[in-house]
Formats: sequence, structure tokens, C-alpha cells
Amino acid sequence: MIVADSKPFQEIEQMLSEYKKVYIVGCGSCVTICHTGGEKQVAELASKIRLAAKLKGKAIEVIEDSILRQCEWEFIEEAKDVVADCDAVLSLACGIGVQYMAERFPNARVFPGLNTTFMGAPTEQGVFWERCAGCGNCIIGSTGGLCPVSRCAKSLLNGPCGGSQNGNCEISNETPCVWNQIYDQLDTQQLLSTMENITPPKDWRTGAENHPRKMVLEHLVMKKE
Amino acid sequence: MVMNNSKMTDTKYTCEEAPCVMACPIRQDARDYVQLIARGLFKEAYRLVRERNVLPSSCGRICTHPCETKCRRNSTDAPIAIAWLKRFLSDNYSEKIYTKPGRNYPEKIAIIGAGPAGLAAANDLALMGYSCTIFESNSTPGGMLRMGVPTYRLPRNAIDKDVALIQQLGVEIKYNTTLGKDVTLDGLKKEGYAAIFISVGLFDSRNLTLEGIQYDGVLKGIDFLREVNSAGTAKIGKNILVIGGGAVAMDCARTALRLKPEKVSVACLEARKEMPTTDFEIEETLHEGIKLYNSVGPKRILGKGGMVTGLETLRVKYVFDEQKRFNPAFYEGSESIIEADTIILAIGQTSNLSFLKNQEGLQISRGGTIIADPNTFATSVPGIYAGGDIVLGRGTLTECLAQGKKAAISIHNSLRNEKRKDEKWADKPEVQKMADSRVPLVKKEQKQDMPMLSLGERLNSFDEVELGFSHEIAVREAQRCMNCGAGAFVDENICIGCITCVRVCPFDVPEFRKGETTAYIGGDCQSCGLCIVECPAKAISFKTPLEDRGRERLKTLFAEKSIKNTKPLIVNFYCQYGSLSGNTKSNAVVEKHVKRIGILGLGKVDPSLYLNALEWGADGVLITACKEDGCHFCAEYDWIKKRSEYVGKILKELGMDSRIFQTHFISSQTDTAFLDIATQMVKDVESVISVNKS
Repeated sequence: MIVADSKPFQEIEQMLSEYKKVYIVGCGSCVTICHTGGEKQVAELASKIRLAAKLKGKAIEVIEDSILRQCEWEFIEEAKDVVADCDAVLSLACGIGVQYMAERFPNARVFPGLNTTFMGAPTEQGVFWERCAGCGNCIIGSTGGLCPVSRCAKSLLNGPCGGSQNGNCEISNETPCVWNQIYDQLDTQQLLSTMENITPPKDWRTGAENHPRKMVLEHLVMKKE
Repeated sequence: MVMNNSKMTDTKYTCEEAPCVMACPIRQDARDYVQLIARGLFKEAYRLVRERNVLPSSCGRICTHPCETKCRRNSTDAPIAIAWLKRFLSDNYSEKIYTKPGRNYPEKIAIIGAGPAGLAAANDLALMGYSCTIFESNSTPGGMLRMGVPTYRLPRNAIDKDVALIQQLGVEIKYNTTLGKDVTLDGLKKEGYAAIFISVGLFDSRNLTLEGIQYDGVLKGIDFLREVNSAGTAKIGKNILVIGGGAVAMDCARTALRLKPEKVSVACLEARKEMPTTDFEIEETLHEGIKLYNSVGPKRILGKGGMVTGLETLRVKYVFDEQKRFNPAFYEGSESIIEADTIILAIGQTSNLSFLKNQEGLQISRGGTIIADPNTFATSVPGIYAGGDIVLGRGTLTECLAQGKKAAISIHNSLRNEKRKDEKWADKPEVQKMADSRVPLVKKEQKQDMPMLSLGERLNSFDEVELGFSHEIAVREAQRCMNCGAGAFVDENICIGCITCVRVCPFDVPEFRKGETTAYIGGDCQSCGLCIVECPAKAISFKTPLEDRGRERLKTLFAEKSIKNTKPLIVNFYCQYGSLSGNTKSNAVVEKHVKRIGILGLGKVDPSLYLNALEWGADGVLITACKEDGCHFCAEYDWIKKRSEYVGKILKELGMDSRIFQTHFISSQTDTAFLDIATQMVKDVESVISVNKS
């Protein structure tokens, strides 16, 4: 799923400083699961915004809401009236949802409430790790099911590097060295010899270096009227 | 304090009913009134009891409480003392809960007998809007409760109190009026009674065909109890033997003991475990010094000069045969003698149907009971209904109440040609027995003992032996309730399958059942509320509205006008599991400035509620939770700590002084430790306010 973190409150306050009626809208999918953009966080942030305004002697009205997925035109349509009625929209979706809101409601001032960080998963309650970089050319079939592109600080395809220390990455002793993990995994699977295969340079054009990317499933595309 | 709604109105998700409710013949809302007591909502709890039960004072004392037999707390330690909690309510919070109903219907209903079934029928019919008259042969109400049950178990003012509330609904009781003597069924019909409900009970003792039964000193159990209960005494000898192993036998023995003979014994066919009465009654009987002879049967009564001298007994081989029918067999040659100068036969009751002279149409069973339809309680004579012991043969108090209640609906349906139903009696699945793996996760909580009269005091009077629960004991006992069937449920339309509930539940209850994409929370839920707060999709809530998790009460608090003038105002969220005593220590400062919202487990409280309190006008929020080792749910301490830190961080970001939001873990919410914390916090907040002003 897409993981996103809350923006610093000061930044949010700054963005909304001119507005009197704000629509805070959460997103019911990825960011709900990662506990930063769901209905619950909408309520907390709304309360925080009102408290901050109260402390400054300012008045602000906050409308709280959440949409199943902000990255679907059909779902965000339901917000049409309330968006028109507010001075600003603070979207607690990932960057995709925020853009969808902005694109669908071109007259509205739409702001992001989150910083979209990575594609990952909870490894335990409240802890999220990056697991995929969206490189567009998956190689984990040969690396024991572990992704060196997203999980190695250098995205090395032939690791580990000399910075691997006691199973951890030199950048932080809380970050496991994925190449150390790949080694252990291949050992478990009795495939250690494959470590000796040199992976040639990767074609990075399928990845983030080639913005904006697009996918078309011809068999599903419907003719426009 | 305002409850959202004390009734279980939303049954959509309450698909599994608590076994305590299902076990009760009247489907008393046992779980919910216990839960209300646990929250200190005593009036609401009494109201809930009384809505279903016309004789709470009696039920709280002498009910055989099948609810407790089925209580799921049996799996972890001991059942909740549900009946004693009901008695606590009726002792302390009995009040009129209905205004006198109007006469919605023209028909008059006659009820014969002011015992449990008759009183229940009269109450319910009066509430529907019928004019009801009870014809009672005695000069006082209660039927067998008054004539049969000894006062040391059921003081008469307990009966009178409940009956007075029934009379206040407009029910008239005509005392000293015997059917067959002062009034007749035909006469009542002629007087214009549209329906007659016969609930006369069983007032004769069953006879035993036994050699020597004619001797002086052989008494019938019911007659004996009746005499003592009306006259305060009865003529007995010095060495009393009661024959019988049921509740009436125990009553006879303990009553006889209070007349101060030299010795009282009980002899019964059954082995100790087979005796048809509660273990508690047997224990009390033994505790009072009565000797119990189990597995002995009477062969003949011995006498001399026309007077009883003893009972010749035989040892019992078995009481019930292979078909489980009552068919006692004895060992030959096992004769033995129990000496006695008085023998009381308490081997069952039977009817006295002499009032049915000239009523040949009314069908009577071979056992001497009136035959009535089990659903409608209609007898073979149109317009005449019957219920209670006279139909059941031998029923319990609640079974008789249930018959009266059901007959009331049936009479109404017949008179109005309606098909009214009481949904409480609908068949519902019950919450299953607790999974073995979960038992060790639930904290064991000692069952509260009933304070009892000392042995010396007991035997010198007919005073009530059980003294009743204090507020503190009642709340402590009620807080043991696991709220079966009313815990958390997942709205499958909202759940996004994130697994948070599965991860946070301290009891491992939520699960993803095979093939399902939303979480399922089963009947073992303990209602801690952690999953409800942590669910990011807000897909989980409690099945009943008894638990508002503090939000509604916070709203109510800020709706009070006087709150605006309270400065500083501190809202205290506290754990009610730490609040047992009715005597909360307080002082003028705390009284004025600290408004308390108690919640059964602070794990239920959303951190945003603390922000709301500040947002809506509180100058400070004080959280007082239980200490780690005192947590009822064993696991909330960490969560409360984490959430407090989280809210503290938010307030820090807003530049607020950390002294306005404090969390303390204390062992009692009512003692001076709390008072000191609260008083100090008022001072802290006052100084924060003065700094902010300057």
C-alpha cells in the first residue's frame, strides 16, 4: 500500500491561514490503514486546527469527511457541494488523491495534509517499512523475494557493499542490510551459488526516471461516445 | 448522567443473546442491569429490571437464578451474583417508574390469586390499559411467597413494596375473597369480567401413603409453613424430622429450627447432589446446625400412644430408574430408625380444586392441575385462562411470573383479535461457551460474598439472614460481568480488512474467518474497546448503546449553562473500575472545578475526545487511570500511556502548557490520592491561565 506521513502541523496551519471554512477529507484506503489519513485522523486534525485557531483568537469552521478512495472520480464526486461551500480543501490522501481532488474541483484551493512517502507495509502494529520502489522491472525472483531496489540504501543490484555491518546497513543500525538478508534467504533455499551471478546494469527507464508513466489495458478501454 | 438509551433497541447486530438472559423464564435483562450497576447507574438499572419484572424484591432473594447457572463467568471463576444485584437495586432504588395508565379498553379482567403469576398478569394488563381486579383468599398479597416462604428468606415488606407499585397502576386487590365461596367463575362472568385468569397456586401438601401417618405430631409442610408465616409460631415437639429434599423441605427445617426445638433433621431419598434445591440453600441449612440424612426412604412412621416417636427408614438403591423416571428402590433389610417427636412431610405440593364445584367443563390433569394451552394459557372453557403453579404443577417464581406475563398478552390478543408478540421470548442463538484458550487471558475476579446475619442472631429470630450488598460490593460484583453478547462488532460495510483489531485485542478475539474479507469479533469479546479506538476505518462499535465511550457525556457536560462560569474548568476522565466506593472524597475546589466522566476502562476513549474537551472550553484535561497491575483488562495501561503521550505531543505543537493535560495512574478514583492530584491540577491550571493572561 501507499504509506504517507502527517505533514508538520505548522505547515498545515500556514497553508490554511487565510481560510475561514475548511473541508478536511480523509481517504478510506491506504492512508487509513497506515493511520495517517483516515476518518480518525480527520477528527484529530480538525480538533487540532480549531484549538489552534481558538488559541490565536481566530475563527475557523472545519467540515470533517472521508471518502472511500480519493483516486476515483466517481467517489470524489460526492464531495462536490461541500467543496463548493468551503474556502479550502485539505486532503488527507496520498498525492494521487490530492491531485484528483484538485483536478476534479479546479476552482477549489486544495492542499495536501500528508507527505506521501513510499510503498510499503506494516511489519508490526504502527511500524511501516518501504518494500517497493515501483521500478517497473521487478527482479525479486532472483533475489530470494527481497527487493534490493527499494530496501538497499544504494539500490545495489550486486550486493552487499562494504557498508554492511553485522547484518545492518551503514546508514543506520536500525536498517537491516537487505543484501545480508538476501544472502540468508538464498542460503535457506540452497541457492547461494546464484549470488555469484553478476546482474548486469538495469534498464531504469521503466522506473521513476521516466515520468510520467502510463499504462493502458487496451482490452478494457471503452470507446468514448 | 444521561444514558443514550437504556434499552437494547438496536438488535440488528445483537444476533447472539447472553445466556443469562436466555436462561431466565421472563427474559430479564440481566446483563444490562448488571452493566448499569457497574457504571453506577443504579436508577436506570432498577428501571430496566422493573420494566420486565413485577417482583424484583422477591426475585432478588429467592429466585433459583438459572441466569447464574448459565453465566459465562462460570468458565473463568464464578458466576455473577445476578439475583443479589437485583435485590440491591430493589432494596435501594425501588420507585414508581410508570405513571398510572389510562383505560384504553373497556373490558374488565378478573384474576384469581395475588401470587406471582396473578400479579404479573395484572401488572401487564393494567399497563396495556385494562381494568384488573385480583381476588385473593388471604388477607395479604403474595400467594405462596407469603404463605410458603419463610420471612428469614423473604421479609414481608419486600413483597408489600412491589405489590404497592402494582396497585399504583390501578390494579385492585380484593382480599379475603375466595373463589368458590365468596365469588364464582359464573358470577364473575355475570358481573361483566371479559376474561378470568386463574392463578390460585398449589396450597396443599402432597400426602404420603405410609404406615403411621395418622399419629399426632405428623405435619404437612405447607400447612406448617403457612401457620408459622401467619401466626408467627406453630406447635412442634423437641426433636423434629423433615421428610423431603427440596426447597420447601429446607424452609420447613430452618423454620422449625427458629422455634427452638432441641434438634432438627432432614431425611430425603436423594443423594446430596440429586437434591432438588440449590447448593447454597443446603449449605445454609447445614450451617445452621440441621442434620441431613441423604439417600434414605421412609418405611413407616413409628409411634406410641398415638404420638410419633420416629421414622423407620430404608437405604435407597436409586431414586431414578434407567428411564430417568422417579422410581425409588431400596435395599432390603436396611431398616434403621431416626427418632423424632414431630415429622414434617415436605414432599411436594398439590392443588385444592374445591372451588371448581359445578365447573365440569374445566379440564383437569391427572396430577390435579388445570390444563391450559402452553402458548395462550386458555383453558377448555372460553374466556377462562390459567397459569402459575396451578398449571405448572410445581414451578419456580420466575416461571410463574412468565406465565402471568404471557397470559396477559394472550388475553389481550384474544379480546382485541391481535397477534401481539413479546420479542424478548423469540428464539435467538446464545453466546457460546468461552474458548478454553481465552480463559487464562481473562482476569479472575473474586465473587463477592453476601453479608449474612451471624448464626446466633439467626436462630433467635425470623430476621432476614442475607443482609444485602452495599453499594461498593454491588459495584465490585457487577464489574465482574463480561458483557456477553454486547461487546464490539465490525460493520462489514465499513471494515477495510486492515487487521488492526486482530493485532491490538488483548484477548485475541477478532479474526478473519476463512473466505471473509472483514474481521469478525465473536462472543468472547470483553468490551475493552481498544479495537474500537484503534480501528482506522471506524468500523467497530459496541452492540449496545450502554457504552457511550464518554462522548455523549462530554457533550452533555458542555451543554450545561453553568459550565461557562466555571474557571478554571478541568474535565477528568477516569476509569470506573477504580471507582467502587459510593463515598467519593471531595473538597470544595475539586467539587467546583473538576467535572468527572467515568468510563469502564479508559481504553475505550478516543484521544480526540481529550482534544474536544479543550476545544469545547475545558482549561485542563485530567486522566486518572488504574495502575498497571490493577487493570481490569490487564492490557490498557500501555495504551493509555501511549495515547496520552500522543495527545501531549499535539498540545505541545500547539504551544500549550503541558500542565493542562495530565495523566496519572492511581489505585482508587475515590480516595485522597485522587483528591490531591485534582487539587494540585486546579492550582497548576490556574497558574497557567494567569501566565497566559499576563
